[in-house]
Parts: sequence; C-alpha cells; structure tokens
Amino acid sequence: MNTCHNKCVLKVVGVTQEYNHKNIIEDIHIHLNQGEFVSILGPSGCGKSTLFNVIAGLLTPEAGHVFVNDKEVTGETGVVSYMYQRDLLLPWRNVIDNGILPLEIRGIPKKEAREKVKAMLPVFQLEDDGEKYPIQLSGGMKQRVSLLRTTMFSKEIMLLDEPFGGLDAITRLKMQEYLLEILKKIQGSVLFITHDIDEAIFLSDRIYIINGSPAHIIEEIVVPVKHASPEEMMTSEALRLLRSDILKRL
Amino acid sequence: MRKYQNIGDKLIPIIFILVILVLWELVVNLGVVERYILPSPTDIVNALLMNWTDIMMHTWVTFFEGMTGLLVAIFLSLIMAIVMDQFPVVKKAIYPVLVISQTVPIIVIAPLLAMWFGFGIAPKIFVVVLVCFFPITVNLIEGLQSVDGELINLVRSMGATRHQIFAKIKFPSALPYFFSGLKIAATYSIMGAVIGEWLGGKAGLGVYMLRARHAFALDLVFASILVIVVLSIMLFYGIAGIQRALMPWEKLKEELE
Repeated sequence: MNTCHNKCVLKVVGVTQEYNHKNIIEDIHIHLNQGEFVSILGPSGCGKSTLFNVIAGLLTPEAGHVFVNDKEVTGETGVVSYMYQRDLLLPWRNVIDNGILPLEIRGIPKKEAREKVKAMLPVFQLEDDGEKYPIQLSGGMKQRVSLLRTTMFSKEIMLLDEPFGGLDAITRLKMQEYLLEILKKIQGSVLFITHDIDEAIFLSDRIYIINGSPAHIIEEIVVPVKHASPEEMMTSEALRLLRSDILKRL
Repeated sequence: MRKYQNIGDKLIPIIFILVILVLWELVVNLGVVERYILPSPTDIVNALLMNWTDIMMHTWVTFFEGMTGLLVAIFLSLIMAIVMDQFPVVKKAIYPVLVISQTVPIIVIAPLLAMWFGFGIAPKIFVVVLVCFFPITVNLIEGLQSVDGELINLVRSMGATRHQIFAKIKFPSALPYFFSGLKIAATYSIMGAVIGEWLGGKAGLGVYMLRARHAFALDLVFASILVIVVLSIMLFYGIAGIQRALMPWEKLKEELE
C-alpha cells in the first residue's frame, strides 16, 4: 500500500492520533501522486478530519510521519493547502482580498498578490465578482472563492474537507463538475474527504475507505474510468457494482 | 412599501417626543406647576439662547475633558484587551478585578480624585477614563475571543504567525464589538466629565449647572442638560458614522436584510 507509482507528492506513514487517551485514527498509510485525485471515504465523525489536521501540521501525531516530496514535514504548518466545508471567507474583505490572504501570510506585497489573484479569477468564473464582498455571493460562489484561496496557497497538495457538504444537491453536482474542470486547468493534486459514495466515485482516481474505531484504512480502490458527467456515471453498470461493493465494506 | 415603513419607524419616536414637549409646555403655561420649579421647554430654549456664549465656553471645557478621557480610555483598552487575549493568565487575573471596579459608585470615587489630584482638569479626565474604559475593554475582549476557531486553524495551516493571526483575522473580526463598546463609552464620556465637574472645579457644564442651581436658575440647569444630551447624541452618531465608513460590508448586510 506504500508504493508510489508516478511522482509521489504526499506520503502518510503509520499515523496514529489519540484524543483523551483514546486512539481516533490508527496506523494510517496513504499516499498521493502528482496530479491525482484521491478520496478518503468514510462515515461522518470517524476521524477523517483529524487525519487532515495531522497532514496540515495542526496536530502532531502520537506515532507516524508525514512526508511531502520525500521531506519529513510532520507537525509542520504552511506546507499543504486546506479547504473546509464552511467557506470561512473574511466578511470584511472582497473576493480579491480574500484570495490574497495566503500570499500575504507568506509576505508577498499586496499589490503583487492582487495581480496574481486577478489573473486567476476567470479560471474560477469570478471575473465579474472581484470587488464583491462575501455577503453578496451565493453559497456556490463563496465555495469557488474559497477554492481559489486554497489554490493560491498551494495547488501541489490540496486537502479538501467535504468542501461541498454544505451545499444543496443541485449546486453540489455543478460544483463537482466545475472542480474537475478547474483541476484540469491548474493541474493540482487533491486529497478529498467525503462521506458520499457517488461523489467519491465521480471525482476520484483512487478511493481509500476508512472506518472503524479507532479508524483505519480498510480498502484502497482504484476507480476504473473517469466519467464525463455524474448522470452518465449513475447509470453505468460497472460503477453500480463498484458502488454496492463499497457499501458492503462501510 | 419598505421605504414607507422605514420613514414610519423614524417618525414614531419624533412624534412621541413632540407630544411630550407640547404637554410639558401646556402644563407649565396653564400654571399647574410653578415656573421656578419646572421651566417650560420654550423657557429653556430662551435661557440657552440668552446665555449662549457663556454656556458654549463651559461646553467646550466639558467636551475637551470628555474627548481626552475617551481617547485615553481607547488607548488603554486596546493595550489591556490585546494583552488579555494573548496571555490567558493575565485575563484570568485581571478580568474579575475589572468587574469589581465597576461596582464601586463613581460618585464616591470622584471626590477622592479631587483630594488626590486637586480641582484642575486631571481628575475630570480620570473619571471619564474610569467610566469609558470598561465597556470598550469588555466588548473588545469578547470580540477577540469569539473569533471562529476553524478560521484560525485555516490561517495557521497557511503558516501564519501569532502576530499575523491577530492583525489579519482577530482584530478585524473584533471591530464590530469594539465599536459597540465605543458607542456606549462615548455617551458615558460627557456624563463622566460632568460628574467630575459637579464635585468641584473652575469651569465646565457640571460647574455651570451647580452655580445655576444655587441661584435657583432652573431654566439654565435644564439648558445645560439639553446641551449634554445633544452633545452625547452627536458623539454617538459620529462614532456610528466612523464605523460605517470603516466597515462598508456591514452596510451591505443591512441593505440585504
């Protein structure tokens, strides 16, 4: 399970994290290749977000290591980008200035950072909304701004923690297609948390199924083909079998 | 439809105040109450106009004391709130003392201040600082501590330093709280200065009212009260104006609601 085929950008080795003297996640081994989309699929509250906090360096694990490009970064922040379910936009900043936040933190001058963000607005279909404040945006637009901010930090490794969980079903389908479209343009690698089987199958190249208490990786599944649209995917026979197979394991 | 309702919302209190003023005028003019006990609204306005230069001179002193005290209080509150936010131990130690300090009646402390600092301008400013410091500090602390923990984790994951987290996230999100405290403090500031003056001094509306009262010139006492009220309201709306200018997104929120 530890093998890296292409260029492996992220490797998590034997990570165990406890809370109140009880292990939440145990002996987690996962990896992410360059340009790959990998989902971590499991029921709500099983410790998926704890794993992300460890990878992001917000928590230092009891055991195990995190490597980025073969360099150990366990407990180190500022290496991978992180996007939450809630958009967490700053209400006092307009779209452009929300986008420059990670660049500002790195010490890039505001003017230069704004230029960089402005250049990215069309990719996120936000070219007419740069001066708007978050309160003037719809839920889907807010998540697009949040995604823009995430990619401004780093597109090499992006941790997306149920980013579409708070959206309605229709907006969510749109956002999923839209995410794949953006990723094609910016060529990022994504580690994606979800509890939605269809979402995982539609978006991912590979899926890790995580479950149990303490949570551990039960299975690694390679999704055979990427599909053009969620509608097509839902009617495919091969994927129907894959779905029922995953359901059995959860 | 909503526009009319907004105008109605503003008209209701104005009409109510006008009705009270007319009743007041009638009660005095019909001789129900003697004029030297309760002057009528027109008497008060007349007295104000007749003694305009005198009253304005005293008003300026009070205004100066109030503003100086308010600025000192803002400065101290910022330091205190930042220290309390960054060092939880300090907050635990000082917060209860702050609350206790507010339970001591200011009217009891003011004469002590006169004994310690004399009858000049300093003890008045001190009273203003005492009454303004608390609402600003408490609101600011609350604002700093109620920042979304996930948001802080997000910027931490971007590698932000403590200083950056404070300057870019915590302080801006505490600004609305800071301004609610500031609006309360601003209305207290003039009152604080007047209380300070009331207990002895050379100039200011408090001193002026005290003299007018000794001379049984109740119309001048009421004229001073009118000036204090107008001044406090102006300060309140002035600060609300600054807030709107500094936080345009808050205005958008109101418009959308």
